[in-house]
Amino acid sequence: MSTATPGLTRVPSGTSRSALAALLLPVKPLTPHCSVTQAGEHFLDPANTALLSLPIVDAGRVLGCITRHELMLRVYMQPYGRELHGRRAVTTIMDARPLTLSLNTTIEAAGQLIGQNLRRPITEDFVLLDDTGRYAGMGIVLDVLNALETKVSHNTQELEQAYRRLKASQHRLVQSEKLATLGQLVAGLAHEINTPLGYVQNNLGMTRDLLTPALSMLQAGAQVLDAALAGDAEELDQGLQRLADARNDCDPDQFADLIALLDDSLHGVAQIGDLVGNLKDFSRVDSAHSEGVDLHGLIDSALRIGGHLLKKRNVQVQCRYGEVPSLRCAPAQINQVLLNLIGNAAQAIEHDQGLLSIRTQSLGGYAMVAVQDNGRGIAAEVLPRIFEPFFTTKPVGQGTGLGLSICQQIVQAHGGRIAATSTPGVGTRFVVALPIARDTAVAR
Amino acid sequence: MTPAKPCVVLIDDEERILRSLSMLLRGRYDVLATTNPVQVLDWVRQRPVHVVVSDQRMPTISGVDLLRQIREHSPRSMRLLLTGYADLAAVEAAVNDGEIFRFLEKPWDAAKLQEIVALAAQIAQADFERADAAPAVPIAAATTHFGGVLVLDEDPGSAALVRSLLPASCPVATATTVEAAMALLEAQEYAVLVAELRHSSDDVIAALKLLKQASPRTLAVACSSLRDGRLLIDLINQGQVFRFLPKPLGKELLRRALLAALERHGELRHEPHRLRRHVVEAPRQVSLSGRVMDYLRRIRDQAKLRA
Repeated sequence: MSTATPGLTRVPSGTSRSALAALLLPVKPLTPHCSVTQAGEHFLDPANTALLSLPIVDAGRVLGCITRHELMLRVYMQPYGRELHGRRAVTTIMDARPLTLSLNTTIEAAGQLIGQNLRRPITEDFVLLDDTGRYAGMGIVLDVLNALETKVSHNTQELEQAYRRLKASQHRLVQSEKLATLGQLVAGLAHEINTPLGYVQNNLGMTRDLLTPALSMLQAGAQVLDAALAGDAEELDQGLQRLADARNDCDPDQFADLIALLDDSLHGVAQIGDLVGNLKDFSRVDSAHSEGVDLHGLIDSALRIGGHLLKKRNVQVQCRYGEVPSLRCAPAQINQVLLNLIGNAAQAIEHDQGLLSIRTQSLGGYAMVAVQDNGRGIAAEVLPRIFEPFFTTKPVGQGTGLGLSICQQIVQAHGGRIAATSTPGVGTRFVVALPIARDTAVAR
Repeated sequence: MTPAKPCVVLIDDEERILRSLSMLLRGRYDVLATTNPVQVLDWVRQRPVHVVVSDQRMPTISGVDLLRQIREHSPRSMRLLLTGYADLAAVEAAVNDGEIFRFLEKPWDAAKLQEIVALAAQIAQADFERADAAPAVPIAAATTHFGGVLVLDEDPGSAALVRSLLPASCPVATATTVEAAMALLEAQEYAVLVAELRHSSDDVIAALKLLKQASPRTLAVACSSLRDGRLLIDLINQGQVFRFLPKPLGKELLRRALLAALERHGELRHEPHRLRRHVVEAPRQVSLSGRVMDYLRRIRDQAKLRA
């Protein structure tokens, strides 16, 4: 991992890997009695080749450091430098205030301290002290840089992983929002379909039961007619008897209602067909765009599919459609937006005089849909946040806070805009503006 | 005067449902049908109504709410809920607030509906006739709790909670398996069985259904974190579960359920004919051990002796 410094073995450390202890080099220090010449020889020791400076320590106490650089400048490169300084104690030319760091210092903090305290160009190493402030060894600036780089790339990986996890969980949330919408849809549809299915099935069953006695009456009647035509008196008597019996089993009142029952059944089947037909818009591949989509058709089917949400609260629906040309859009997605707005409106209305008004018009190359309710409204401080992902005022577990955020994404992906205005206690109005097909064609 | 034919009231916001059901039932019953909930309340106040079949999802009122009001005005009328979609909230309310006889789903099976309406009408007719003969004497609230409460739950916390909510005079027993519970029920009658539906090894749901058949007087308070509408519908129709409480148990809700159950048990002891109002359908399939079935047989025999 960290680059090994030639000639020196690293001391394994019990302290955290992210602290300087990991970079500790157990350098044998110079004593205060050591001469300048001896110090120069120590620098030549192969064990110390990687070091820029050597510590001078007296009984564990760090007195200072002598650097290769200083030795060169002041001793070897000066005329008579060796003669002048060579025999003196190393303490005379040492730096008495070298950078000292505790073994517990983190790599990041060390990097900062080095940047703040060391002169440039870097000509020295730093001294490492143990908990009690005694000499522990030396540390090399380059090692700190390497360790920092390793850490940064590790952090980057972690960030990338966290980002991927976040993306995945967001995707799951979007899916769960879709499933929640789907669940509501299915619940509503089951109710809407089961009601006509209930009476259609019942009516057909009753019709079938009625047909059995009707058939025997028909047969008896035919027998009577045949016998009368053939002049067979005995056969005629028998036939009349059968006809009378069959007549007792048959209630003509019920037949009178039969037509109404069958009319109801036809109506019911048409209603089921209508519902399933409306579902088609929802079942299209999510982002598939179609040309020439009728916006009003989309609104009608969203109302049909989401109708149960409004019915539950007895909300009256008013549609005022203007002249709007056909759109190029993903119908399933626009339906999702409309259904979401209708559902929100239904939830916002808590009284018996609920009114949902949906208006359309075309304006400045956009098809505008305004969905307005007379529900509880949205507080002014909340309104600017409603399109934020995960923002919800519903209790935990009842909303993902993604509904309107997804709506906004969809509308924006269509090159449109969505906005809301609201007065608490009066109602809320959402306006969706979608570019009209003609314009997108021109743009291409 | 009781009319010759029992009276069945139908209410639904879809007129075609009303026409269809009226036609199905009018041969045997005096059928009144309306889309107007207020009309239904007028009818039950003005005349004996034996059976009410109500839709759940209506614009101005939910079926459960309407049936609860009907129960207040005409407690003898048998209440049936007919719904297109069983959402859990509706089913829970149907048990706890509506105390309904059966939960029916659209589309219905005509023969089965006929059978259920016939049974309900027969029970209500008997109740109305009895009431005409001897006006109902209000029963004094049971001062001593006969029988006590049995708690069937692997979690001992439930029994402790039940114990803490009841007066010391009311015995509370506890069992952690179906078999242990049945052994206790064989040894003595309990007024109330509080049961957690989820069990690591035993089919508590099947046991509740069969216990209702064997010992109809024992009232079941089911509690669970299971949130399954379908399962609850079966527990109404086949188990006549008295209350359903979601877990974690709320103290006040549980206390009220226990007291209501103890009181109802007292009423059922005084007026055993009212047990008829809690008859159940046979469960479709049962997977209980032979030993449990033996216990159930003995419990049934004893219940018959007591009755």
